[in-house]
Amino acid sequence: MAQVRESFSRFRRTPAFTGFVLFTFALTLNVILQGPANFFSPNSLGILFSSNMPFLIIVIAQGVLLMSGTMDISIGIQLALVNVVTIMTVQEWGLSFVMGSLFGVAAAIVASVVLWVLISVIRLPDLLAGFAMTYVIRGVNVFIMNIPQGTVARPFWQAYSSLLLGFIPASIIALAVVLAIWAYLKRTPFGTHVYAVGANPQNAFAAGISPVKVQLQAFMIKGLFTGIAGICLTLMTASGNPLQAEDWGLRSLAAAIIGGFTFGGWGTIACAVFGAGFLVMIQNSVYFLFNWLANVIPGLMVTSFWHNFIADSIIFLGLLTTIITVRGQREALRINLEKKYMKRGESIA
Amino acid sequence: MFETKEMGKRFDAVVALNGASLKAYPGEIRALLGSNGSGKSTMIKILAGVYGPDSGEISVDGKVVSIGSGTASRQHGIATAFQELSLIPTMSVLDNLMLGSEPKGKFGMVDRAEARQKVQALLDRFGIDCDMDAYIQTLMPSTQTMLEVAKAVSQKPRLLLLDEVTAPLYHDEIQVLFRIVRELKADGVSIIYVTHRMSEIFELCDQVTIMRSGETVKEASTNEIDLDEIVFHMTGQYPEAHAEKEVAGDSGEPTGREVLLDVRNLAIFPSVWDVNMKAYKGEIIGIAGLQGQGQPEFIRSLLGAAQITGGSVQFDGKKLDFKSPVDAVNGGVGFVSGDRKREAVFPVRSISENISAGKIASGQLGAYMTGKFIKEFSSGAVEKYNIKIGRLENPASSLSGGNQQKLVIARWIAMNPTLLLLDDPTKGVDVHSRREIHKILQECAAGGMTVIISSSEYEELFGIADRIYVFFEGRVSDMLAGARKTDELLVAAMMGMTGQNKDGEAM
Repeated sequence: MAQVRESFSRFRRTPAFTGFVLFTFALTLNVILQGPANFFSPNSLGILFSSNMPFLIIVIAQGVLLMSGTMDISIGIQLALVNVVTIMTVQEWGLSFVMGSLFGVAAAIVASVVLWVLISVIRLPDLLAGFAMTYVIRGVNVFIMNIPQGTVARPFWQAYSSLLLGFIPASIIALAVVLAIWAYLKRTPFGTHVYAVGANPQNAFAAGISPVKVQLQAFMIKGLFTGIAGICLTLMTASGNPLQAEDWGLRSLAAAIIGGFTFGGWGTIACAVFGAGFLVMIQNSVYFLFNWLANVIPGLMVTSFWHNFIADSIIFLGLLTTIITVRGQREALRINLEKKYMKRGESIA
Repeated sequence: MFETKEMGKRFDAVVALNGASLKAYPGEIRALLGSNGSGKSTMIKILAGVYGPDSGEISVDGKVVSIGSGTASRQHGIATAFQELSLIPTMSVLDNLMLGSEPKGKFGMVDRAEARQKVQALLDRFGIDCDMDAYIQTLMPSTQTMLEVAKAVSQKPRLLLLDEVTAPLYHDEIQVLFRIVRELKADGVSIIYVTHRMSEIFELCDQVTIMRSGETVKEASTNEIDLDEIVFHMTGQYPEAHAEKEVAGDSGEPTGREVLLDVRNLAIFPSVWDVNMKAYKGEIIGIAGLQGQGQPEFIRSLLGAAQITGGSVQFDGKKLDFKSPVDAVNGGVGFVSGDRKREAVFPVRSISENISAGKIASGQLGAYMTGKFIKEFSSGAVEKYNIKIGRLENPASSLSGGNQQKLVIARWIAMNPTLLLLDDPTKGVDVHSRREIHKILQECAAGGMTVIISSSEYEELFGIADRIYVFFEGRVSDMLAGARKTDELLVAAMMGMTGQNKDGEAM
């Protein structure tokens, strides 16, 4: 029991705690509104994962950048970049889908490195650079693919939305790959250097770490993850669209912050998962809430604008909760330290 | 051996180092001493690779080297424990201690087992009782400082720089630290030890190097020098702690005047522990002390910018309850910071805007001010305080430091505060402007304003302050007024050589 309490109090101090609480709340809400039997059916879980996998992975990618003290709001449009590059290389050059995907991933990495040059080397403000990049990439996307078009070979998109062994969503493989890559990176020096650079670049530099180099690594990993997310998106939609997912840049940032990231050096991959989960669950909950209301109140008709309004209001509250909790944690920490200090001082005097 | 010669370093108009030198021999503990502005911190930071020197040379074993970065400093075998700590608060103890020197394992991964083993050995050696997975920010300041030293020692340096590391430490931790420093000395490591606690010099150190005004003024063995002489070389004055002259009936507190500020047992975690102070209307109170004894925090707490954690403050008969500087300003408090760039001047805005900024802020939001009013108001101030300007429309950054400071003071006096707080306002200000600032403050006090002025150059306080409170390690070590306002007593109080603080113990 004492051990459980000890590990709980340790968990409370980790960055992921508020994200976890918010996620649990949203998950419960979703399960209740959708009905447990419906929610936990393999088919609906399969759809839940396959349709939200791209978003979940780019929140993780955004998280890696936040750890290193920077961000990328053009990450949303980069998904469309991966999408159009993959579709068009297959369509125009006759490559296989796998080869096309590799080109797609490479495009995301190149875009990330360009942004690294702007942010870490030339030192443009990261929001501004990301904003500008959004428009540059939009242009590139439309240049490559002027109107939505193209297809993905049936076996690929079918495999993506299939259930392994009849109950495991196949899209989870993408998440597993991302998490495995991160699990490795976390155990390399990069895994600690990225936090040091994000929290205090001067101290990191004094310890012999090059912040610019660490940020390059972070951007490349973010590019790789964005590429994987873009392939998921392509498999999910089975077509190309040069102007999709643009608003995911800011949404991924919001999700990461809700999950417990701060702008630099604080937050884990678990934060990204909880934050993305919270956003998705809230959107689902609101959808099911309106469905239920439409049944209860005959003749109720609401546009999707209302869905978004309610869902985003709740997300905003989530954002506030995180920020207030972080502030509260800091204050509690200070008071606690002070008490300890006083006590120790008295015991010696 | 390590040697620096003829070191020079300037920060804008302030000369931090002016031909200073320092030697460190293997197997020797050398105390590096100096009062405010002596340049000892700059010297340490140059050796640590934080600053590059403007002139002078650094040599290691007789070879001239250049230390351009923290990495270069490490490569020459120098490790530094900084007073302000180089730990990253949001990372674990383990990650901090191994940062930049992680043991390599398979496939480019860190050998966690070896890292844990190394850190555990280090924690055991330093007697630090903490969970190595705990975040640094959850640990006590004293533990953090011990970890900072442990991190430096773990680099197996040939030269270890310890910059005022004992201030936050408890007695038992200091004993551990001393033991380890002596062990390192036996292993042939050179140690440079910066402290303001005089007792530690004789307990621990073999040699002393004393700096003053950016120059090295004295080198001696601790056997051949005594405390009074050390203090003399640091400050130019002999201390007079032991022959305290009480002047009967002169507490220096004015009679027949109203108390404006009554501070009792004030504490601000973790820098101020117990401060008592009374300020009367129309009085100029000086605050003296070595750097980092809690003076800035004290002043900012009166302004609502630092959180009071203990004790009470009565201001103008009421409990002081400012939640932010806005409350304080509305309550009649003004604040002039020595850090003009960060806390006082809007450098790209015009001079007239800078002067009238306070006046504008004190009006209602949306209150209308005519251009004519602002112009007359600011040209009046410029004339009254003799601020040397080109045109009112020029940016504030076009002024010299002294004139910028006068501008800020003018801004505040225009608001007519009952209490004016000044935190080291004459830092980097030329003598002439300084004299004028003093004159302005004296006029204000004559008009009934209470002025509290902190200064790192204590000589200036004698000229203007009615009473001087001397801070030492977050406490008032002495209050000087009337005939007790002497260099000797002030210096003794600054070094903590009074009353219960005679031996420099914090707890």
